[in-house]
Amino acid sequence: MSSSSAIIARGLVKRYVTYERRGFLRRVKKTIEALRGVDLETRWGEVFGLLGPNGAGKTTTVKILSTLLLPDKGWARVAGYDVVSEYIEVRKHIGVVLSVERGFFWKLTGRENLRYFAMLRGLRGVELEKRVEEVLRLVSLTELGAADKLYEEYSLGMKARLALARALVHDPPILILDEPTLGLDPPSARRIRELIVRLAREEGKAVLVTTHNMYEAELICDRVAIIAKGRIIAKGSPEELKSLVAKEVPVIVRFTSRSTIVEASSLEAKLRRELGVEKFSLSVDKEGRNVLRVLARPGEEEETIARIVGLLSGIGYRVRSIEIAKPSLEDVFIALTSGEEK
Amino acid sequence: MKALSVRFMDAVRAEFYSYIRFYKNNRAFLFAAFIWPYLMMMLLLGLGYLFGDPRMYAERLGVRSPVLFVVSASTVAMSSVFIIDEVAGYTLYNRWNGTLPYLILVPMPLSKRLLSASIPSVLLSPAISVISALPVAVYIEGLRGFMLVTSLYASIILGMLPLAGLSVIVAGLVLTTKEESNVASSLAPFMLLVSGVFYPVTILPKILQEVSVVVPVRYVVDIAKSLASTTAAGQLYVAIYALTLMAFAYNLFTVPLLSRVEARVRMYGFE
Repeated sequence: MSSSSAIIARGLVKRYVTYERRGFLRRVKKTIEALRGVDLETRWGEVFGLLGPNGAGKTTTVKILSTLLLPDKGWARVAGYDVVSEYIEVRKHIGVVLSVERGFFWKLTGRENLRYFAMLRGLRGVELEKRVEEVLRLVSLTELGAADKLYEEYSLGMKARLALARALVHDPPILILDEPTLGLDPPSARRIRELIVRLAREEGKAVLVTTHNMYEAELICDRVAIIAKGRIIAKGSPEELKSLVAKEVPVIVRFTSRSTIVEASSLEAKLRRELGVEKFSLSVDKEGRNVLRVLARPGEEEETIARIVGLLSGIGYRVRSIEIAKPSLEDVFIALTSGEEK
Repeated sequence: MKALSVRFMDAVRAEFYSYIRFYKNNRAFLFAAFIWPYLMMMLLLGLGYLFGDPRMYAERLGVRSPVLFVVSASTVAMSSVFIIDEVAGYTLYNRWNGTLPYLILVPMPLSKRLLSASIPSVLLSPAISVISALPVAVYIEGLRGFMLVTSLYASIILGMLPLAGLSVIVAGLVLTTKEESNVASSLAPFMLLVSGVFYPVTILPKILQEVSVVVPVRYVVDIAKSLASTTAAGQLYVAIYALTLMAFAYNLFTVPLLSRVEARVRMYGFE
């Protein structure tokens, strides 16, 4: 583990073969290219974020790095060990969170679940008890009085904490976390984020975290890579990446519709066809309002806003607010993936 | 930050721990586990008496005491069902539960991992069935009944070793199937069908009789019959010999087979 990189991957390619049913008997073979030559590197003591939308290849990358899946091409070394030929060694050095929603035994308590997984990691006797207690405290499950509750009684926030506790129970130097805050309420998500940063800064662990939450990535990651359609399309610190869109102005338009259901695909088509807008994203905020984020050229913000408002009003939407924001990682993502989306 | 090595016995210990805790936290489930052998006894008795009186049933099965045989046979049957369900269904249950990736991530080969998971089932499931059957056996035959059921425990363990090996292979194969079909669920009824629990193997079609030769449960049923009769000591030795041989064969076979399964699972994914 002397190398400065905890995780190195070069040219990872992974294809999945699926069969699509056509009629009663006929099946058509379909190959999905999940990864198309992924290169990445995570250093000791840093939080590295792998960002991308659903289906971009984040989970496939995580599975390859955690030895659950073999790459078709390319190679990866974790803690200095090859993920294909030295997978047992790799497993000894990593703690993994794949899903915060499931992954424990419902009829065991949090502590019992953790003891079970700690035993499977070779912990015994006093050391086992001490470590289980330590990690339960670290993730605040003891504080919440949840350590001795059955897992089936856990809230999603508690489940996420227990998932992180399991990843930490054998004190691995490398953490691989696949969307560790997905679906969590803000306080639980904040707690998990604080812990991730602390583990990297204070204990020198290398943390690879995947997310599609750009705000979260900006908050906790030292460096990030943006992945789309199986390719890394940008890498660097959040500040470096934001400088890529320094010449563009993010305009945020919040709007509602009478039916509250916005047909995203038809609106996207209209934005492209009628306004010639290419770099944008559509989402829904906590209040249930639709959020359109557009990257405008400097000096053209007002014109862009006027055209968007005109378009939205014309098709029956009500504009609630308009804001000109500072560039964020989300804008980088919009700018870099707009070509891929078409 | 140290990398711990995981020994086979660590995994066995963990599985014992979760097995015991599961029952401790689920008293209702434990109660049901003690009741099931009695339900099986009623089924066997019902089948036995359906086509004749108890004497005919005893003659048909070749045992001295039909009730005592039914007690033994139901213990064997329930132990087999438990083990096939728990061991062959292990990967399927954990896939549904979301625990499978974390169990695969344990730093040891898949074959060792699945074999370690089968050991608590092999030892504890028959114990539950035997403890459950003990009061009836003692009530019917007194000390002899007690001796019969306790010696049956040893033979069930011997019988369950090859069965566990077989179930581990099924558990591994389940990993390679993408569909959520329960291969294990069809295994238990088939094993019981060819085991001679419900009726003598000799009345089965020729092909099933041949298949039954490699089915471990058949020999445990033979042992139960030998213990329930006074004349079949030869049959007892043959059964013990066959089970010992199968225990080695099935469990040795699991290691190379599961290495291939593991490679395939890592190539195509397991979920």
